[in-house]
Amino acid sequence: MGGKITCTLGEVKNRADFIVYWGGNPAECHPRHFSKYTLTQKGKFVPEGRKGRTMVLVDIRETPSAKAADIFLQIRPGKDFEVATTLRALVKGHPVDRKRVEETGQTVEQLQDIADRMKRARFGVIFFGMGLSMTRGKHMNSGAILTLTAELNAFTKFVCMPMRGHGNVTGSDMVLRWTTGYPFGVNLSRGYPRFNPGEFSTVDLIVRGDNDAALILGADPGATMPQPGIDHLARIPTIVLDPKVTHTSRLARVHITTAATGISAPGTAYRMDEIPLPLRPALKSPYPTDEAVIRRIRKAVASQIS
Amino acid sequence: MIRITGGKVYDPTNGLDGAIKDICVADGRVVADVEGGRTIDATGMVVFPGGVDIHTHVAGAALNFARGLTPENMRRALPFKHTSELRAGLGGITPTTFATGYLYAGMGWTTVNEAAVPVLSARHTHEELHDTPIVDKSCLVLMANNEIVLDLLEAGEVERAKHVVAWLISAAKAYGVKAVNPGGVTAWKWGKNANKLSEPVEGYSRVTPAMIIASLGAIIDELALPHPLHIHCNCLGVPGNFATTLETMKVLEGRRAHFAHLQFHAYGGDDWPTMRSEAASLAEYFNAHKNFTTDAGAVLFGDAVTITADGPWQHQLYQLTGHKWGNLDVENETGCGIVPYVYKESRLVNALQWAVGLELLLLIDDPWRVYLTTDHPNGACFWRYPELIHLLMNADARKEALKRLPEEARKRIVLSELDRQYTLSEIAIITSAGPARALGLTRKGHLGVGADADLTVYQENPDGDLQFEYPRYVIKGGEVVIEEGEIRSVVEGRQYIVQPAYDEKIEEFLRPLFQKVYTMSFDNYPVELERIRRPDIHICK
Amino acid sequence: MIVLTLKEQPNVPLEAETVSPDVFASHTLDEIRSLPVYLGKRERRVDDFFGVDGDAGDEIEIRGDATRVKWIGKGMTRGRITIVGHAGMHLGAQMKGGTIEVSGNVGDWLGAEMSGGFIRVRGNAGGQVGAAYRGSLTGMTDGTVLIDGSAGLEVGMRMKRGTIVVGGAARDFTGLQMKGGTIVLRGGAELRTGAWMIRGTIISLKPIPLLPTFAYASTYNPTFMRLYARHLGALGIDIPHDEQQGAYQRYTGDASVPGKGEILVWEKH
Repeated sequence: MGGKITCTLGEVKNRADFIVYWGGNPAECHPRHFSKYTLTQKGKFVPEGRKGRTMVLVDIRETPSAKAADIFLQIRPGKDFEVATTLRALVKGHPVDRKRVEETGQTVEQLQDIADRMKRARFGVIFFGMGLSMTRGKHMNSGAILTLTAELNAFTKFVCMPMRGHGNVTGSDMVLRWTTGYPFGVNLSRGYPRFNPGEFSTVDLIVRGDNDAALILGADPGATMPQPGIDHLARIPTIVLDPKVTHTSRLARVHITTAATGISAPGTAYRMDEIPLPLRPALKSPYPTDEAVIRRIRKAVASQIS
Repeated sequence: MIRITGGKVYDPTNGLDGAIKDICVADGRVVADVEGGRTIDATGMVVFPGGVDIHTHVAGAALNFARGLTPENMRRALPFKHTSELRAGLGGITPTTFATGYLYAGMGWTTVNEAAVPVLSARHTHEELHDTPIVDKSCLVLMANNEIVLDLLEAGEVERAKHVVAWLISAAKAYGVKAVNPGGVTAWKWGKNANKLSEPVEGYSRVTPAMIIASLGAIIDELALPHPLHIHCNCLGVPGNFATTLETMKVLEGRRAHFAHLQFHAYGGDDWPTMRSEAASLAEYFNAHKNFTTDAGAVLFGDAVTITADGPWQHQLYQLTGHKWGNLDVENETGCGIVPYVYKESRLVNALQWAVGLELLLLIDDPWRVYLTTDHPNGACFWRYPELIHLLMNADARKEALKRLPEEARKRIVLSELDRQYTLSEIAIITSAGPARALGLTRKGHLGVGADADLTVYQENPDGDLQFEYPRYVIKGGEVVIEEGEIRSVVEGRQYIVQPAYDEKIEEFLRPLFQKVYTMSFDNYPVELERIRRPDIHICK
Repeated sequence: MIVLTLKEQPNVPLEAETVSPDVFASHTLDEIRSLPVYLGKRERRVDDFFGVDGDAGDEIEIRGDATRVKWIGKGMTRGRITIVGHAGMHLGAQMKGGTIEVSGNVGDWLGAEMSGGFIRVRGNAGGQVGAAYRGSLTGMTDGTVLIDGSAGLEVGMRMKRGTIVVGGAARDFTGLQMKGGTIVLRGGAELRTGAWMIRGTIISLKPIPLLPTFAYASTYNPTFMRLYARHLGALGIDIPHDEQQGAYQRYTGDASVPGKGEILVWEKH
């Protein structure tokens, strides 16, 4: 059934000798990843640093990250699932169809070489980015990497981690899990938490127009959402809490300026490996924190109901 | 102020075995007498000190990982609807934090000890404990695979290791130290395990599991922590592991130690087909060594999620079950593995596990040294404790249950020969007085003057067991929190923390080392005391 | 028969698991009118949205565009629901018996985790037909789902037994992680059909792209196909099996699991 086999970033720094980036461009999107965690650091068990590590980049085009890679595996767009699934078979020594493998942009020999290197690694890691998880196949593409990783552990130590971006998305995932049991796409309308991605996940819900109001916190869907979703947000009462005016603020009925968390408001942020970091504000802000605003709204609503 | 009058009081610490006595409560404590306030007529009822769970997994990175990994369980869980007083949540196998507080309190348990916290994510554990209402809380920090400590042991620097341990406990805002599969979790980081106590751990030439166990046992005694080394032995869950458990006990001979979830460590046989119960031989040794305490880690049939820092075992279980598998290795410190699991009556191994838990509880003769747990959610969920109590108090119920097991299982256990039935007083010991004493929580587990006013009132049932599922009243810190099966008020629990002494200069040693092997700033590592809402700090020595 | 006529489209999804023969059968029309349905976070009555007429019993007809009405027939064990119009998500989810017929289209999760019963949709279906809900190990375990039109993603995901027939094209991941049962694709499918399947049979009457982890085994006309054709023929669905006309190419997989599923692709001579 697969699952999720992962670790904190220090494990990668201290141990990883085989590092795969898949569908991500850390050189531009996570510029400190190589130097802080994965490649150039001298690790406790990788004392030679960069020389002790092999890096593979899997992507559909040659991004600036390819320069850092020892092996660049260019695959055809939309073939991530096929490549990962083929690797699962090759790792376990099961046959694959040569011609259909070649439709991915790689030969069986090239993929067999990667499979063998993965199995020979002492400590391997796959970081996967939005080039994988947000393209055709979406959660199943991620699922293919998770399952490949789990199965590699029959041969050696292997872990994987999504390359998450955009502020404290991991923190939201963590808090939702302990308060509601689910990481995202939670619906509380029946008084208790329910979960169904595709039905309750934000983008699907808004694009279908299933909501009649929106409170937007720490996100700018107006910049990334498909047009029907943007039109819907403009049609319904939308309230934005943000330190700055965003695309979403422009289509909202109300924008409330709040103090920037981490700069003027304290709290906790969770790193992509789910490690909590304390935020210590450096500056004072004339604006209230998100929390203070939400508490005031909640109180005002409660008093209107009672 | 409350007076509970007319109830039969079971307070083993103070020698009360069902005597009718008024219990008076004021300012959150038990007092000799009160004037005015509320009177609860407990005629026909029994009064217990609030339950204390010495070993449970209710908060932090591993449990939160499990929640996310098992939406199919959460979907079937008991829903908690939000009201003006209560937060929404889900019960089930890995309850959400608010639901955890409501469920424990609803069952009459008022103190819980979260048994596995990495220092690196301790801040997260505390955020979850902060969101766990009503109950008082404490947590144990994971230490037996901490590579800074292990490296010091390798170098023979035991004294420095002691200061590091003390500093780490303090950094995690923990109450004690847990050792999980000593050396095995660090070996797992290379895909290996540590099955032999006397062999060096993968990556070390001198450090063995036995050395880790002995050193931590000594360090904890020297630091004078109120709770001794809390140990999850090597070789959890595998046939023949009772030998390792006995060996671990021998390593710790003469010291205090708490053996966690002993059920998972009490198997004989050479492999799965020949597995058998060795509860009797473990109990025999344990009975003769008064320095040890243990908790059952009992199994009940049904759904569970196995969550443990024992990564290699979890990989093995994943390969055995073909179910989902989660694994999270934590840099330099520990790791955790998660595999959902269903204990089936018809499966030989599970039938043995079910019997072993009960056998240990029945064969260990001193109830003050064995406590009721299921290693929630590993053996079963904590909210199923009443089922276990029923089995302990009722030999006939056990005999009925035994009939449903595979015949082969019945040959490999001794449960059918055990006629012992727990008394109410003994139940009060294994659920409250005993674990409170083992944790060193002097104001818990009893109802003497000065004790915390945490108590549970059950309806007396002359024909059979008490309805442990449905307390009539639960009082926490002097407030009535449960009445008539409903949550009446939501109080905020305390959090117990220890402050062991260490040489401040240890930070000068740790800081450069930390920058080298960790990936966060040293100053961000310790949990700030301000983050703990109601800290109750125990200064050691 | 009880006739529910939708008065107007709700502005947000309406959850109506009470609209089920098992629930209605024990109630008078007046009681049915007052049963709860959930509009977003508000509890409302059936007759806030539906006109309720006809005779009490375990047959229900729903008229109107119920695209936003979810969970109709959830867990039903008997009786019949006829929808003259469209229906929303989770129609017939977890049903155990009885019949659902829809003249129009339906949303995602049609017959999800069903264990028995019969569903026929004349229009198109969304994704996850007969599928396992997220995280669950097993999708539908028995029953029949016939869709005349197209279907969305992950049709029959983790199904164990039962039959799904799609008349039009299915999208990606048909038969994902399938453990048993049969899916008939009369109009073919887009990508990744049979991905990670363990057991079970997928029959496609049109050529479909296959994963590299499926291996060609043989070309033949399996004898069970004749039985199948007769069974589905009775439901008005034509499955070719005549050796004079063509044969099935048999592929096995998914080798990544490794699984013993089969994909049969019809090829005309």
